[in-house]
Amino acid sequence: MKLSISRYNPERDEKPYMQDYEIAPGPQDRMLLDVILRLKAQDDSLTIRKSCREGVCGSDAININGRNGLACITKIADLKEPVVLRPLPSFPIIRDLVVDMTGFFKQYHSIKPYLINDDPAPERERLQSPAQRELLNGSYECILCACCTSQCPSFWWNPDKFVGPAGLLQAHRFIVDSRDQARQERLDDLNDAYRLFRCRTIMNCTEVCPKGLAPSRAIEQIRLLMVTDFL
Amino acid sequence: MRRTVTGLRAWLLQRATAVYMLVFLIFFLLHFILDRPRSYAAWHGWMSAPGVSIAACVFFAALLLHAWVGVRDVFMDYVRPAALRVCALALLFLGLSATAAWVLRIFLVRSG
Repeated sequence: MKLSISRYNPERDEKPYMQDYEIAPGPQDRMLLDVILRLKAQDDSLTIRKSCREGVCGSDAININGRNGLACITKIADLKEPVVLRPLPSFPIIRDLVVDMTGFFKQYHSIKPYLINDDPAPERERLQSPAQRELLNGSYECILCACCTSQCPSFWWNPDKFVGPAGLLQAHRFIVDSRDQARQERLDDLNDAYRLFRCRTIMNCTEVCPKGLAPSRAIEQIRLLMVTDFL
Repeated sequence: MRRTVTGLRAWLLQRATAVYMLVFLIFFLLHFILDRPRSYAAWHGWMSAPGVSIAACVFFAALLLHAWVGVRDVFMDYVRPAALRVCALALLFLGLSATAAWVLRIFLVRSG
């Protein structure tokens, strides 16, 4: 199996360069991460971030043949060779395939990703009807791997001002939560020139989401709620 | 209430003007296909009818607003230095104002 991997060591290299590898996958190797770890056993300078290795933690998001995805749930049988691996586009590179997610999480925290409810907590829990709970489906499953945000051209141009698809998906999750009391504040917070409305409906986010979620649909629904409030 | 045309207002304005322009252009094209003016006088007469001339005026207003919001968005994305962006927006504003003046002149002089 042929791979071409972006390498960068900030202490040694001025800029990233591509390094070619050739390796025979082991009999048990099914996913791209298996092959990368096999490579790392040969060349331990190769750096990647990973944890759960089953598509739940979102650590090993990288750009695979030009498309963001999780290495641990990308089947090697589906990949065209040479497999070109790069770090997530537009994020600052720390080393090889590991990127700095600080800006991404700063945007995520800016939407206040927690329930805001000033009522005293009930003895057991804040109940929801099945219909109310249903509204959270498609938003709460996000694992914050940043595949969507890093593939979004609007985020490339304005990473400091545009919340990005992952953050907006989370914003939607709290806006529609029946237990949250800050719906209006959340909508007002997003209603400026940049935070939500830099979205040009390019829909790369929905195209690449490894969990099959649709951030563009969530963004559309936030816009609809704003329009309903406005009219 | 926000006074500036930004965020939701700009987004709504962009879509409302687009819908109006689409409807007007379909109406305009249908007229030319189904009942083509045979002479300049016939064309002038049709354009001078109050309904048509008001609809055409609104079309150009929608076009200019649509262009302002759309090109401003492009500048906000791609023109990063503040001074350059102000210059670009000023040029855009001048260009669109000149176009508006030209449209007004055509409508007022021709129909007057």
